[in-house]
Parts: sequence; structure tokens; C-alpha cells
Amino acid sequence: MLLVLSDEHKEHLGFLSDVDPAVVGEFGRIAVEFLKKGSNPKIYEGAARKLSVPAETVQHGVEGLMFILTESSKLMISEVDFQDSVLVLGFSEELNKLLLQLYLENRKEIRQILGELAPSLPRYHNLEWRLDVQLASRALRQQVKPTITLKLHLENGDTRSARVLQTDPATLLHLIRELERALAEVKSNHCRRILRNIK
Amino acid sequence: MELSDSVVKGLQTLADPAYMDFKSFRIFTEAAFHSLLAFPTHSVLDYPELKNIDQALLKHCHIAATTFILEGVKQNADRSTICSCLEDLRFDSERVDAFYELYQKSKTNLEKLLSSIDRCPPHITDVSWRLDYCIKNSHVHKVNQPSYLISFNTENGENTGASSELNFSCTLEQLQDLVGKMKDAAKSVERATQL
Repeated sequence: MLLVLSDEHKEHLGFLSDVDPAVVGEFGRIAVEFLKKGSNPKIYEGAARKLSVPAETVQHGVEGLMFILTESSKLMISEVDFQDSVLVLGFSEELNKLLLQLYLENRKEIRQILGELAPSLPRYHNLEWRLDVQLASRALRQQVKPTITLKLHLENGDTRSARVLQTDPATLLHLIRELERALAEVKSNHCRRILRNIK
Repeated sequence: MELSDSVVKGLQTLADPAYMDFKSFRIFTEAAFHSLLAFPTHSVLDYPELKNIDQALLKHCHIAATTFILEGVKQNADRSTICSCLEDLRFDSERVDAFYELYQKSKTNLEKLLSSIDRCPPHITDVSWRLDYCIKNSHVHKVNQPSYLISFNTENGENTGASSELNFSCTLEQLQDLVGKMKDAAKSVERATQL
């Protein structure tokens, strides 16, 4: 699968073949950094002054790289397809190699970042538990009632939340049995067949 | 057992054969226990057998008797405590035995009732799960990862009957982690019971 680059996009990236490969390397580093932590326009101005070009040109160059990186990571394109895709930009071989390296080194992390954008329910993060025996309450003295308090930590994008829940020993065993069935299911013939064939 | 003056007075009235004969006493006591355990409750005032008794006094006796019952269950009072308490209030032995018989019969259910009056975090009662194979989404293609949707059914202790769900997703490894931690908890419970 090849990347489809628009003419506007090619024009934005064209600027990169005019500058030193070391500068492109730096732009690549900035592009990856922006993908991880969000963009910072001040950096464009600084770089533009050094290279004595308009800040907009720098911005287009970095954003063009960000687009190439996210699109190719999203589609998980192969090494060969990546090289063929950037060929149309008419860069030097050295520059193409540099871009490929940038892609391969950061693909995993970029896919992880993109994965967080997918619509999903809160995700499991951690479970803490505590075993108590309830001995008395306002309404009833002299009890022996074992309870398991569970603190379930969930993650939703950047925000973490925790829910405190309680259960009794019999239900806890039931929950474990039921969830073990869920774990066993992924090893069933049906699931293994699907997992093997959709790759 | 510490009882307020009003409760003592109500119970003393119950002990008085001039106010209530033994047959009415039995019906009244059964009604008192029944009113604590059954919903919707019948009022003692609804029993035709008790219609010829002063209704205001009957109401007072009912409050006294139910308070005494709940206080006894709350403190896990045994036979000697209940009986000596009633004897001090001048109950004859026939009434003491009749009362204790019902107390013993209803105690377990009353304990359950009282233990359910409790402020506690939502109680997990069951779990449902679903196994998905995520193929792609709008942001990432070729995800190809199994993923679980877990839903804990919970009940809230404060208002009985109100149940809700807690949904979350997890990967295979995360579910293994979750089950592993729950097993640790279960092992601790088992070890604690062997002490």
C-alpha cells in the first residue's frame, strides 16, 4: 500500500530538499516530539530566523513530516512501500534513508499515541484489594462478615479514575471462574482460527 | 438490655392479662415479628382479633415490642437475656415462652435484615464479558488485537434494589493481571478461614 500525497503536500515538503540533511533530521525530531507532546509554534519562529525563511515554510515542512509519519504509521506500511511512497518527493537518497529511519524508529510509539484516540470505554489500569471482616455496625453487633474491598483504577485517555467496590467471598470466586472462562475463550479453536486468518 | 421508659411501659401493658388475654398476645406478637420482616406490612391495627383492644394503646405496645425485638437481635441477646428481661417486666412464663419461640424463629432473618442496613460501596454481584477482535479504527489500521469488555453488575447497599453496571475494556494481558489479583484476594480469604 502506498501513501497518497496531494500536490499541496508535496509542495510543502519540497522545501526540505533545499536545506542541509542535518536540518531535515532536526525537523524530523521536532515532528516526532510534537506528535508526542503537542505542537509549539514558538519553535517554528526560532528555526525560521536561523534559516532566514518565513516561519510558515518551516511550519509546513514540519507538519508535512508529521503527516507522513502518522499516515504511514496508521496504515502500518512496509519498508519498501514507504520508500516507494516518498520517491515521488524527489529527495536525495540520503534524505529518503533518513525519513525511513525516522519512520521505523517511531512507528510503534506513534501507533500507540494514535491508538489512544480510538473511541473506547475506560480501560483497566490496576486493581487493589483489601480483606476485611465486618464485626459490628450501628444496626447489628457481633457480626462476622468477610468483605473484599476492591479499588479499580481505570484510564480514559489522559484521565485516571478509581472506583471503590465491594464483594463477598462467594461472589469473588464466581467472578474469578467467569473471567477465567473469558480468558480460556481466546484459546478456543474458533478464536484461534479468526486470529490466524485476519492479519 | 437498656430500654426507654416508653418501651418499658408498652411492654408492661403487654404483660397485663387484664389488658390482653394470651390468645390475643400470641396474635399480637406474631404480627409484630411479621411486620418487621414482610413487605408491605400489615399494621397491628388491621387484625380483626385485636379490634376490641384500645387502639392507641395497641399502637404503643406495637412500637414497644418491635423496639425490644430489634434491640435484642442487634445485641445478639440469648435466651437468658430475653427471658429475664421479660420476667422483670412481669411477663408470665407462658408469654415469655411464646415470645422467645418466635424470637428464635425469626432471629436469623432479622439479622440479615439489620446487616443489610449499612452504608457501603457498591457491591459487585456478577460479571459479564465480551471478547472482541479489534481490526482497525479511524486512527490506526491493522490493530489486530483481542480486547475484552468487562461489565461488573453492582448493587448499592443504601437503596436496596438499585443496581447499576460498571463497564471497562482491557487487553488480554490486563485481564490476566486483573484475574491474578482477584485470585490473590481469594487466596487470602481462604487462608484467613483456616486460622
